[in-house]
Amino acid sequence: MNSSRKILLALAIIALAQTAVLAGIVIDRVRLLQSGREIVLPIIPVDPRDLFRGEYVRLSYSVGSVPSRLLEGPKPGRNDAFYVVLEKAADGAWQPVKVSAAMPAETSPDRVVLKGRALHEWMQSPTARQLVRYGIESYFVPEGQGKRLEDLAREKKLAARIAVDGRGNAAIKGLIIDGVVQYEEPLL
Amino acid sequence: MSWYRNRVERDLTRWQTAGWVSDQGASAIRTDLRSRQSPFGAAPIFAVLGAVLFGFAVMSFVAAHWTGMSKLARLGLLLATLWGCYGAAAVLFQRQLAAFAHAAVLGGIAVYGASIMLIAQMYHMEGSPPDAVLMWALGALLAAVLARSNPALAATFVLLVVWTWWERSLTHGPHWSFLPAWAAAAGVAVWLGWRPSLHLAALSLVAWLEPLGYFILDHHAHWIIVAIGAAVAIAAAVAGPAIDRHIQASAALFAYGLAVAFVGLYVMQFLDRYSIFGSQQYSESIQRLLLLAVFTLAILLAGMFWALAHDNRGALWLAYAAFAIEIFTLYVRTFGTLLNTSLFFLVAATIVSLLAWAAYRLHQRKTPPQEAAV
Repeated sequence: MNSSRKILLALAIIALAQTAVLAGIVIDRVRLLQSGREIVLPIIPVDPRDLFRGEYVRLSYSVGSVPSRLLEGPKPGRNDAFYVVLEKAADGAWQPVKVSAAMPAETSPDRVVLKGRALHEWMQSPTARQLVRYGIESYFVPEGQGKRLEDLAREKKLAARIAVDGRGNAAIKGLIIDGVVQYEEPLL
Repeated sequence: MSWYRNRVERDLTRWQTAGWVSDQGASAIRTDLRSRQSPFGAAPIFAVLGAVLFGFAVMSFVAAHWTGMSKLARLGLLLATLWGCYGAAAVLFQRQLAAFAHAAVLGGIAVYGASIMLIAQMYHMEGSPPDAVLMWALGALLAAVLARSNPALAATFVLLVVWTWWERSLTHGPHWSFLPAWAAAAGVAVWLGWRPSLHLAALSLVAWLEPLGYFILDHHAHWIIVAIGAAVAIAAAVAGPAIDRHIQASAALFAYGLAVAFVGLYVMQFLDRYSIFGSQQYSESIQRLLLLAVFTLAILLAGMFWALAHDNRGALWLAYAAFAIEIFTLYVRTFGTLLNTSLFFLVAATIVSLLAWAAYRLHQRKTPPQEAAV
């Protein structure tokens, strides 16, 4: 093979490999959004801000703060993944009931497992609460709309539709404002 | 490279008039100089800068979150740009415009990274951001290997550093997994054999190594970094010829070792005060600081002498700069507490004057007057 054919092949492989990685991320997400179990969690959008990636709203969840005593087994390190089991209460709200470093097997329809990460060291005290992030805390909005969402939050009840797959991965499907789906995320 | 050409041109004229170089020889040297391609011409630099700016353009486009298009259309646009970059690289390689082709490859890498960010934005993904940077770095490394692209390799090293710093800021751990990734990239650097990327390999390792003391043992273990730096410098000094038989690197290794040791000592003295002071009394801690400062200055002086004796210009300037930084910081930190200003300047002046005298003697010994007369 001459050298110009070789470089063509090399560049094609680079482009193909990088395309495959990007396609992999998209396919994974679409699969999660399409086939994942859907739960609805109340949210409070806080401080919209501009970052490199654009304007987004930080979503704060009530399940984002977990009592430390729920942990069973070894303490997860900083930024290590662990699993939070949520249980549906009588009023329909999801509450954290158990935390573990390994993926627990939960089959009850009233329970769902979410993969989370803690930004701080796990605290041992029985009254402490741990801040947990599930990877669903950022909601990107078109430029200039972050403020609007924040204003809405002051008078209305906001919730997020979340898709959860069998491995605990979560993705935002859309936002619900006063019970009405307002921001619907198309798959593609 | 033109500075080198100018310099040779100046010397050549001088040697020609002195009759040491024949007219024929001089013109042969000039032809050779002209035929050598400069690796740092203006065109490749502008091309690479263009590629970087192009990357920023794509990223701010992403940041604007263009809602007018469907996700599929946005993905299509990004992938088309990605393939466009590599397609352009193919055309440029075929036209023998290698420098521009590498800039196009770099553009492709930038679009790849921007695409990762855009997809994360489209699907409101958070995950662990450093993982995305690692994914980007690996894509850049692949391009560096397959296209034998030095700019792509340079981008890989920069991304690896971003990755490890970000990861550490989240986990507060030593982040050992940086090492295999770095070793892979460093292996590619050796294989491609481009000098600047070998320096980048060293610099990125230093960027990982230098703060390591904060993350291991008692979280103030900077002495390990100092020991590693000193060991590298001593090994480079002792085994210099043996190393240079394989790869011309002992001079650079010496300079890097010296720099690593100095920064480690600097952190111990002025940045992470707990590492030497602990819960000591103030007077005792000042004594320790001064002891460490004397040790630092001694190491720097030893480094300077070695560098002078072995014509290691990089290490010499580094040691000069480190010496100045050390003295200056010491002055600022101890001013008004222990050392009287004038006394301090007197001490510093004496040291530097002695240094100048010693350097002069060394220089005289190395170049006897009759040879130096030219």
